[in-house]
Amino acid sequence: MNIEQSKSIVRESISEITNGEVEPTDEMNLIGKEAELDSMKLVELCLTLEDKAGAIGFEFDWTSESAMSRSRSLFRTVTSLAEEFLAQSEMGK
Amino acid sequence: MIIITGASRGLGRAVTERLLESGLEVLGLCRKNEGLPFEAMACDISNYEAVKFVAQELKQGKKQLTGLVNAAGIASMNLAVTTPPSMTQKLIQTNLVGTIHCCQIFAPLLIRKKAGSIINFSTIAVPLGLKGESIYAASKAGVEGFSRAFAREMADFNIRVNCLAPGPIKTDLLKGVSDEQIDAIVSQQVVPKMFQPGDVCDLCEFLLSQKSSSLSGQVLNIGGV
Repeated sequence: MNIEQSKSIVRESISEITNGEVEPTDEMNLIGKEAELDSMKLVELCLTLEDKAGAIGFEFDWTSESAMSRSRSLFRTVTSLAEEFLAQSEMGK
Repeated sequence: MIIITGASRGLGRAVTERLLESGLEVLGLCRKNEGLPFEAMACDISNYEAVKFVAQELKQGKKQLTGLVNAAGIASMNLAVTTPPSMTQKLIQTNLVGTIHCCQIFAPLLIRKKAGSIINFSTIAVPLGLKGESIYAASKAGVEGFSRAFAREMADFNIRVNCLAPGPIKTDLLKGVSDEQIDAIVSQQVVPKMFQPGDVCDLCEFLLSQKSSSLSGQVLNIGGV
C-alpha cells in the first residue's frame, strides 16, 4: 500500500459512513471547528478503518497511547489519518 | 457476551453467577483467574494495555459484546489524614481509572452493534459523605461524574450507561467494618435495611435488559438516600 491508496481507503470510508453525503478531500478537517464529521461519525470512521485494516491483514489501533497523544495530527485531516493508517500497515507487515 | 470485572469475588462474583444462571454468556475479568468455575481472563483493569489485550482477544474470537459490568473495586476505610499516599493512588487507579479504561476500551465493541448497556459501580458513601470513606467516596464520585458524561457520549450509539450505588452489602469489601458502623450507615438509607448481593444482581439484570431502555446516565442508590 502507498499513501495514495491509503488516502483512497480513508476517503472511501468517509463516503460509506456518511452514505455519500460528504465528498471527502485530502485536506478535509476531521476535528476542530472546521470538521465536517461529528464526533459520532469520527468514531464510526475509526471502526470502519479497523475493519479495512483487518481485511488487508494488519491491526489499525486508534486507541494506543501514541495514537492518542498525537491525536491532533492523527485526526487533523484525511491526509494525516491516511499517513497514520499507512504507517501502521507498514509496522504490521 | 457480557464482561464483568471483579468477577472472582464479592458483588462481581455474585452478578457473574446470576447472569450465568440466567443463561447469559459471561466473561469474567479478575486479577487471578485460576480455579474459577466460569470463563474468566486474568486482567488488571488499572493497566490500560492489559484491558486492551482482552478487547483484542474478543475481536479475534469474533465475540459479540452486549454488556459491561464494572464491578471491580477496592475499599479502604480510613480518615483521609491517616491514609498513605500509596493507598490513595491505588483507590483512584483501580476504582476510577480502571473503570474508565474498561469503558473506553470495550465501548467500541458495543458501538459496532449500536446497542448495549454499561453498569458502573459507585457507592452510597458518595451522597451520604460517610466519615472514614473520603478517598473511597472520591474515587466513586469520579465514577459517577464520568458515567453521567459518558452516557451522553454513548447515547448516539444506543448504548446506555448507569451506575449502581450499593450501601453496605455483605461482601469481602466490608471486612474490617464493625456491625455498629454498618448499622449507622444503613440507618441513613431511605429503606433502612441491609440489602443482599441478590438485590444488586436483580438491578444488574434489569439494567442489562431492555426493560431499562429508558434509563441512562442515572445513579441508582440502593436503599435510597
